[in-house]
Amino acid sequence: MLEFLISNNILCHAVEAMLFASVGCSILGVIITQLNISSIGFTMSHAAFAGAAAGMFFGIGGTTAAIIASLGVALLLGPLSDRARMSTDTTLGVLFGMMMAIAIFFISYMQYLGRGADTSALMFGNVIALYREDIYALAVISVIAILFVAIFFKEISAIIFNRKIAVAAGIRVTPIYYATLFMIAITVALSLNIVGGLLLYVWLVTPAAIVYQFCYNVKSLFIGAPLVAAAISVSGAWAGLEYSLPVGPLTAVIFSIVFLFSVALSPKRRITDRKN
Amino acid sequence: MKPRDPAIELKGIYTAYEGSDLPVIRDVSLTVRQGEFVIIGGPNGAGKTTLLETINGMLAITHGRAEVSGMDVSKQGVDVRKRVGYVIQNFSFDPLSPFSVEQVVMMGRYGLLGWLRQPGEEDYQAADRAIELLRIGDLRETPIGRLSGGQQQKVLIAQNLAKKPEILLLDEPFSNLDLCTRDFISRILKDIADQGCTVVMVSHAFDALPDRDIRIVVMNSGSISLNRVCHADEVEALVRQASVVA
Repeated sequence: MLEFLISNNILCHAVEAMLFASVGCSILGVIITQLNISSIGFTMSHAAFAGAAAGMFFGIGGTTAAIIASLGVALLLGPLSDRARMSTDTTLGVLFGMMMAIAIFFISYMQYLGRGADTSALMFGNVIALYREDIYALAVISVIAILFVAIFFKEISAIIFNRKIAVAAGIRVTPIYYATLFMIAITVALSLNIVGGLLLYVWLVTPAAIVYQFCYNVKSLFIGAPLVAAAISVSGAWAGLEYSLPVGPLTAVIFSIVFLFSVALSPKRRITDRKN
Repeated sequence: MKPRDPAIELKGIYTAYEGSDLPVIRDVSLTVRQGEFVIIGGPNGAGKTTLLETINGMLAITHGRAEVSGMDVSKQGVDVRKRVGYVIQNFSFDPLSPFSVEQVVMMGRYGLLGWLRQPGEEDYQAADRAIELLRIGDLRETPIGRLSGGQQQKVLIAQNLAKKPEILLLDEPFSNLDLCTRDFISRILKDIADQGCTVVMVSHAFDALPDRDIRIVVMNSGSISLNRVCHADEVEALVRQASVVA
């Protein structure tokens, strides 16, 4: 898609993948951080991780299995947090442990059987080993994420503001909440091969957290987070490939450094010394 | 709906929370006519908030039948909530919340708009009128988290008035307000009730009630122990008499 800008094929694939993963993840990340359900990020990423590990064990496609596992968790999450009378965070904590256990079980069992599967890509990502179809799928889900937020912006913003007030206002909260969970599930599963199950959380949470330090309205959060995420991810991909460094971890570190600077520079924490 | 038609009609209502052995509301029957001003009183834990959330369909009814604005609450809960305003009791907003007062007031219109429609001229005018009515025009652009509790309370009332509700439910709306603001809000509530909006308010503050006939409903242990129309001056004494403190 971006060959007209970047002639190096490997770098072009890496940039495209990082661009679409960062846009999709960061837009949904705004919803996640504003709803205070950040743990949804690591639960979903570990669900995709567990799914991919199970997929490798059973010899089916890793991405397909990751999507199925993430969607399964999304299916469980909403009703569990609604019906189990537990906070979403507690439900996520339970599911996170379960997903991690499944992933470790399959990886360990494959090693025990001597099948020697290389699972490092699942954990840390491998941006240069992607198929073109994976990148197209990521592009599609990123566009869907943008459209989803644009079309249902008023419902999403009301739910972010206060779920109970949104319900009282006559907004159909449950379909939007569940649709958000499904979008996160698919985006996370498709991004797994790029940044890995252990680092995906950074893409989901950190861009929104960075932009939040400077934004006073929710619309600018939705615009700013993907722009920041795309800029950092593309820079990370370029620097990683140029200097032969691991792209996923390098980009995650850059995200974290930018976050620290954004907290230090945030006007939201400034106390005025004016007297009038 | 014709004037004096029942706005709220509850017949033998029971409401229970998930996992609870006993219903919170038991065999509650209540008829409230359009334009009535209702005060719900009673001790803590009597089921007052639960009654409000049963009326607007936020809590499931386990037995009985509830009709609000001519709609069956059990089947048409979302449609009921589009026409019924509800000012919640316990709210706290992050001081860094990215929502301005104007955006929060406009949210009152979102349910009416439905899925795909964006706010239009009529919606902006309704939000503007509610903001002006509550005299919070100077706070329009201010993030809601930076306001005091009383100012936030006014914003939430404006949000519900922007909806132009047929029925307005308020859960302890005076709890964060100073005495002058209580009087001011009370006058607004009287005016909207005089214009035909049914006002149902849970309150423990009886010093700022509007000077008009008021239906007083006292709840004890999930049931109604008193239901009668009286003048504002009599409300406090009647609530004290009818409330049973455990």
